[in-house]
Amino acid sequence: MSTSAQERADRLRSLSFERTDARQRGFFRGFGHAVVEVFGQRELLNLLVRRELKAKYKDSTLGFIWTLVRPLTMLLIYFVFIGQILGAAHNVPNFAIFVYTGLTLWGLYSEVLISGTSSVIANAGLIRKVYLPREIFPLAATGSALINFAIQFGILLLAVLVTGQFRVSWDLFYVPAGALLALVWAVAFAVLFSSLNVYLRDIQYLVEVGMQILFWCSPIVYSWAQVVQTAKDHGVLWLAEVYLLNPISLAVLGFQRGMWAAGSETTQLGVNTIPPQPWPAHMALDMLIAIAVGLIFLAIAQRVFARLQGNFAQEI
Amino acid sequence: MPAAITDAPAVLRAEGVSKRFVIRKDKSLKERMVNFGRSNKHKDDFWALDNVDLEVAAGSSVGLLGANGSGKSTLLKVIGGIIQPTTGYVERRGRIAALLELGAGFHPDLTGRDNVYLNGAILGLSKRQIAASFDAIVDFAEIGEFIDTQVKFYSSGMYVRLAFAIAVHVDPDILLVDEVLAVGDEKFQAKCLAKVADFQREGRTIVFVSHSAEQVNRVCDSAIVLSHGKVIYRGDTKDAIAALRKSF
Repeated sequence: MSTSAQERADRLRSLSFERTDARQRGFFRGFGHAVVEVFGQRELLNLLVRRELKAKYKDSTLGFIWTLVRPLTMLLIYFVFIGQILGAAHNVPNFAIFVYTGLTLWGLYSEVLISGTSSVIANAGLIRKVYLPREIFPLAATGSALINFAIQFGILLLAVLVTGQFRVSWDLFYVPAGALLALVWAVAFAVLFSSLNVYLRDIQYLVEVGMQILFWCSPIVYSWAQVVQTAKDHGVLWLAEVYLLNPISLAVLGFQRGMWAAGSETTQLGVNTIPPQPWPAHMALDMLIAIAVGLIFLAIAQRVFARLQGNFAQEI
Repeated sequence: MPAAITDAPAVLRAEGVSKRFVIRKDKSLKERMVNFGRSNKHKDDFWALDNVDLEVAAGSSVGLLGANGSGKSTLLKVIGGIIQPTTGYVERRGRIAALLELGAGFHPDLTGRDNVYLNGAILGLSKRQIAASFDAIVDFAEIGEFIDTQVKFYSSGMYVRLAFAIAVHVDPDILLVDEVLAVGDEKFQAKCLAKVADFQREGRTIVFVSHSAEQVNRVCDSAIVLSHGKVIYRGDTKDAIAALRKSF
């Protein structure tokens, strides 16, 4: 560890100077530099994710099990009250799997967005005192959301297998595509909002309210067939297309198409015969485009973040 | 005192660094809506740094002196890359560690051990490097068996000792220090100062912010005195202290 002073000086002489100011870089070089910088800190990222998970349920008796309680409670509420009492289950085959599929992906999207948005403020102590690539904070929030998602997805997969609903088909590719689509957009929003939130604290509350509205704007509790039918009944079929412009709606549909086999089959529910879901015509292409647009949006969000982060330490 | 290095290269350069703080009085959406259009009345400009130039050679120890609000901590943060200057730039080379606050990034619910790894990573160490110096860190901090206790149960002395121990095991080329040498009891302080002397012998560069002229005199070989964001003196520590007294 102890290099002699002269050796150290000679080594330093051979290094080139680095500027601390990253604002001068162009769009692509700036984004590339940020990606390299964050990648260089992946060990720290890993530790920050573990910190979030470890500290969250520390000292509680059930610990990590609490991660499962919330989604399962939501499933119960939607299944019993919306499904049975309000009657949504009469038009949607295999309603429990259907709702849980949507909730699982929605859980990822909303957790990344909500905890990502407040992540920079939550780490104010670090930001004021240490230089780190600050993108690491929304990404750490993303990492812990991904682990929760993995657990919930495991339960979903188990439920699908146990109920004999698992079908091997090309539709399975919609599952990773849906997850990726939701993730890209959620991270992009999280990066953007976490930086704006430093200057305007209302953002985090706006996001919470916005997510509640968005939840009902996505086909989680009601099915896509019902959306199309309602639009048709009112003679505004184009509204269904507008509905699909929301990336999380498309992602949820993809996820359902892969995990919820009953949605692609004709089913008999009591007196009702339910035809297969009218999946959008070019769904795979739509999803690929949405992922590509999401990546561009992510790059833009990172540049905005890079612009704003210069004053984080004093504004926070 | 620092080691003698022939033909020491510069490791730190600041050119025309200025920093403006805009003091906004309205932070929430409501306040901004209400004050929209009159928003300039709700802003105050304040230049914390005004056209500061700086060059620090490898192996030297520089003290930053100044009254409260003279901009010395801001300058240190600009050097550390924690805040961006409004104009001008800072260039540097080598591994830099900023000790602006001991235990920044400590999580109260995690054990000392977890926090050593986390804090080490925050300061730029890899997992393997931390594992290699883990025993040395625990030893230096004199924490002993409490290393597996959550840090929220630590006494404040144990807390800063552990934080300081991690910081000095980071192996930086440039160390930025802000008033953190005054931690722990007298015995631990002596140990800290001995460690700083080791650092100087090893040719590390130290930029040291302090209110205590006596401490700067003991540690640094040159000093810079700031007043209202401007450099008013640079050079020998003894004269710097005289200049500081005059600036009050």
